[in-house]
Order: sequence, then structure tokens, then C-alpha cells
Amino acid sequence: MSIHTPVASGGRGIPRWALGLTVAMLLAGSGYFATNLEGANPPILATPAPSGPPSAQAIIARAGCQACHGSDLAGLAIFPSLHGVKNGPVSANLAQLATDHPDDWANIWIAGTDPSASDPAMRSGMPAFGGEPYKLSAEEIATVVAYLKTLP
Amino acid sequence: MAVNPKKLRPYDQPRKVRQPIIPDGPDAAATLYLVAAAIWLTMATGIGLLWVAAQLFPTQLAFSLEVPMLSGTLHLALNPATVSSGFWNAIVYGWLGNAGLGAIFFITPRILGRRLVGEQTATASAALWNVGLLAGLATLYAPQLAVSGFLAEFPLPVDAVLLLALVVANDAFWRTLLSARDSAPYVSVWYFGVALAAFAGLYALATIAPILSLPAAGAALANAFYVRAIDMLWVTGVALGTLYYLVPRATGNPLASTGLATFGWIAWVALGTLSTLGALVDTSIPFAVTQLGNAATLMLVVPAFLAVANLVLTVRGRWTMLLSSGTVPLAVLGLTFLTATAMLESIGGLRSVRSLVDGTEWVVGVRLLLYFGVATFAFLALADHAFPRLLRRDWGATVLGDVTLWAVFAGAALSGLALIGGGIAHGSMLADAASADAVSGTLIWFWGAAGAGIGLVALGGLASLVNVFLMYTSGPLAEYVVPPAPAASPSDAAPAAVAG
Repeated sequence: MSIHTPVASGGRGIPRWALGLTVAMLLAGSGYFATNLEGANPPILATPAPSGPPSAQAIIARAGCQACHGSDLAGLAIFPSLHGVKNGPVSANLAQLATDHPDDWANIWIAGTDPSASDPAMRSGMPAFGGEPYKLSAEEIATVVAYLKTLP
Repeated sequence: MAVNPKKLRPYDQPRKVRQPIIPDGPDAAATLYLVAAAIWLTMATGIGLLWVAAQLFPTQLAFSLEVPMLSGTLHLALNPATVSSGFWNAIVYGWLGNAGLGAIFFITPRILGRRLVGEQTATASAALWNVGLLAGLATLYAPQLAVSGFLAEFPLPVDAVLLLALVVANDAFWRTLLSARDSAPYVSVWYFGVALAAFAGLYALATIAPILSLPAAGAALANAFYVRAIDMLWVTGVALGTLYYLVPRATGNPLASTGLATFGWIAWVALGTLSTLGALVDTSIPFAVTQLGNAATLMLVVPAFLAVANLVLTVRGRWTMLLSSGTVPLAVLGLTFLTATAMLESIGGLRSVRSLVDGTEWVVGVRLLLYFGVATFAFLALADHAFPRLLRRDWGATVLGDVTLWAVFAGAALSGLALIGGGIAHGSMLADAASADAVSGTLIWFWGAAGAGIGLVALGGLASLVNVFLMYTSGPLAEYVVPPAPAASPSDAAPAAVAG
């Protein structure tokens, strides 16, 4: 049984319009490259924690924070940036928590909030990650929060 | 002399023809890959709906489960992170991987005029690929087993199985090509060669990278390069190769220009490869290298436009075929999405645009246009052309074909454009220092629209799967006829018959 079903082809020449388009785009690309050489790339990941085992970077990687908050923790989709943690809560639903616990509101939020709290917003949130294998110890959470507060 | 069968001794019996466990008939590998692809499209888009829902309701859709094992406890988790991994892996490896490999194994023997060398091992590669992929997807929901990284999360044993499948697939393709001794095969084969070699090479890179214990930034860079190269070289390459075969075959016209096709292929290889450098964004990478990749991305419109123009010129004189249902309208929709995606890629490569939309939904939206628009329509066109030839039956219900076309078209456009719009809104709000709540409140609408789009693609995929099932079980038989001499017009034979 033959299954040879070749495709017939037209001429071997390259039309002028195709060459014109290619040359025009080549010039545009070269011009863009030549005029955009000044600058510097941003870091692909947020700056690593200065020191101290276990590193915040490793904890963040294990807990999967970057899956929602982005590889640089600057936010992704509806998940907020973590870069402003040093300035206080980035979402309004955490305002009351920050008022009540100005020093450790972030730790409480990551660890999981009280399911009996009167404010419904305080009953869930990061606690989705409160279970294994994402569950972090109090020390690990403190390391992560300390690191987040160093982010610009 | 008449023989009384009752008096035959066992050793006089005619030899029984045993069917091999792994089929080795013509097109066995292509059939298995394409049937698996049809199932994966429905599965992957179903996971896609879950993915969007997890973005919108992250806490309500988060579950975890502890499974006692002999060596401890296995924690299974369903949350935005694991569902997101599941969706992208199912689309890229499940749907586009199977469909792409099926396209290569269906088209290559027909162009070269030779049966696939190693049909049985190629069929085995399809089984390996799908079993490995199912196992890999299962591990994504057990974060203890999976590695973090977009499209590179499978544990090493799973990666090894998938890599073996790709090596076997490469072996079958290249041996078939070399045995044909065709010094200038049709342009589709060139696209397939680069795409298949790149897929295996890139997958090997992604498998090796975690073993090398790269620093976190190095691993992230390798991952970014891998994802970009898979899109540019594998997904785009195999889709273009498929469209280059289907449009002339389905219209019955010769390809408008071989020279243009060759020129376009060279431009695609050069610019597609260079554009992967644009994904290397880190302080450790010289800025000029990244900008070279961005400049190449800007110029990617050249190979895309050359391919679109060549194939649209091929349709001339047969424009009425666009109004019918079947291969041609599906392929032309793929070309339309290719034009839009290439332009958006180019615009997204500009420094000013990158600074606005980098890290936002824009990137996801353009990727969805490539996957659901360009590649999905190329492979749906292939399915329309190939299944009657593989199953020897004709399509039955045309209404299901129409549902597939319109639902996937509307879904691909809606999901892609919604997220592109969401990316622009997101970037603008971040530039204006809007609060996180304001950003979330705005983006939720864009994600809702994207979810509706993915739902439509899922509906189209389901209609396509049902259509294939109905064709296999109750479609009218179609005779498989040898097409006329190679030099003649490649138009199909009589309406009831199906040419190879």
C-alpha cells in the first residue's frame, strides 16, 4: 500500500514584497537593538536573605509562595505583591489584624488565623497553606517575615 | 484435493496470526497519539476551568489530604499552585504534545512516501508518553514529590520516562527521513525536524537542570529559557509544519511558493532561537543579550507573515471552501491567530511595553492565544483531515464539527484577549501605585472572562471527542484509496473515498 501523498509546490523564487518586508523588519529590529543597549536587567528572583539557616529563600521555595505571588514575590494575578510588607498590610482585609497586632500581624496571617474570629475575613486566607506539606514552624515564619521586610 | 478439517492434526492447522501487543500496522503511532490528544484536550481544558476557579476562589478551593504510606505520610494538596501546574502541563504535554507527535507521524510518511521506520517503537513511545504524563500529573498534587518550576515539576523517574519517549519518537522520525534519501523534502518535514529535536533537547535540559543543583537564580533562568523555547521551537514549529501540509492538500492547490516557504523556515529557525534569549532576564545576564532576544522577538512577525501569506495565496481560487466546514476553515483560523499572536509577541518584546506588562496576565494571555488559537486550530484541522484516513470512516455529525470550530474560536479569542486586557490593566494599576485590593477587584472580571473562554474551548474539545467517538462507532465506511500519481493535483479522490 502506498501512502505517498506529496504536496505540489509552486515557484522557487522569493517575491519582492517578502524581501522588502524582511529588510524593513531587519532594519527595525537592528534599530531597536542599537538604541536600547543602555540599562540593566532586574533580578529574576527577589534578593536572597542576607544570612541565617534555614534561608528564607529555601522556605519560600518549599512553601510554594512564588506559585501565587510570582517568582519575584511582586504579585501575580489577583495575588498581591509581598514587597510592601514592611509598610503594613497590602490588603484592606488585614487592616484590623494589623491594628490589633502591629508587630506580628504577618506572622499570624501566614500561620493561620483563628477560625472562631468574629470577622469572617480573619477565618481564612493564607491558612489554606496552613496544612502539610506547606505548614511552617513559628521560627520559619519569623524568618520569612523578616526577609519580606527587607524587600524594597 | 479436498481436506476434511476434522481430520487435521494440530500441526496441520494453519498458523494462527497473532496480533502483537504493540500494534505495528501503518499509522498505528499516529492513531494512538491523535486519539490520546483528543482525550487530553478535554481533560486539560477541564483542569483549566479548575485553574481559573482556583485563581478566583483560592481559599474555597483549597483542600489537602493525608495518605498513609509504608514510609511515612503522603500529603496531597489541591490549591492554586498545584492546579496551575496541572493545567499547563496537561495542555503543553498532554494536548499539544500528543497532537504534535501525532501530526509528525501522520504527515511525515505521506510526504516521504515511506512507512514510518520503527512503527512499533513509535507506538510504544506514545504509550510511554501518556503513561508517564499521567503519573507526572498525579505527582503534581503531591508537593513532596514535585519540583517547583513552570513546566518542569515532574520527579526524575517520570522525566526519564518522558525523555525516553521523546528519544524514541526522534529515532523513528530521523530514521524514516534518512531512509527516504530525499535531498529536498517538503518544508513541513523541515519544521518537524527542528521542532522534534528541540523538544527532546529542551526536555533533556529541563531534566538535567535540577540534578545540577543550580543556584536558585540559575534554575529560574533555565526554566524561563525552557518555557520560551518550547513555545517558539516546539509548539510554533509543529503547528507551522502541520499547516504547510494541510492547506495545499485540503484545497487541492499547489503551495504558492517553495522559495518563500524555505526563506520563512530559515527566518523562523534563526529568529525563534534568538528570541529565547529575551527570556533571560536577570542581573547575571548582560543587558545586551536580553535585548538581542527582544529585538529577535520584534522581528518574529517576518516568519509568521511569510507563512501566512504563502498559505493564504495557496487558497486562492478556492475561497468558497472557507464557508464550508472542514479542514480549510480550521487551518485559516489557525493562520489568523498566528498573525495576531506574532504581532502581540512583537509588541510585547518592546522595552516600554515590557516594563508595563512584565509579570502580569499579558504573558499568559499571549500564551493562551498561541496554544488555543494557533496550535489548537492547526491540530483540529489535522484531526479533520487525518481521522477519516486513520479510522477509514467518514465524519458523521457535521453539527459537532461546527460546535468545535465556533466554541474553540470564541473561547481562544475570549480567554487570550481577556488576560491580555487584564495584563494591561494590571500593569497600569501597578504603575499608578493602586492598592492590592483595587487590583484584585479589577482583575477578577478579566479572570472571569478568561474562565468563560476556557469553558468554551472545553466545550469545543468535548464536541470534538464525541465526534471522533461517533465516527469510530457509527460513521459511514470510507474506502481508503491510493491517490493519483505524485505529479498530479493533490486533491482528494471521490467524495465517498478517502485518500491517504
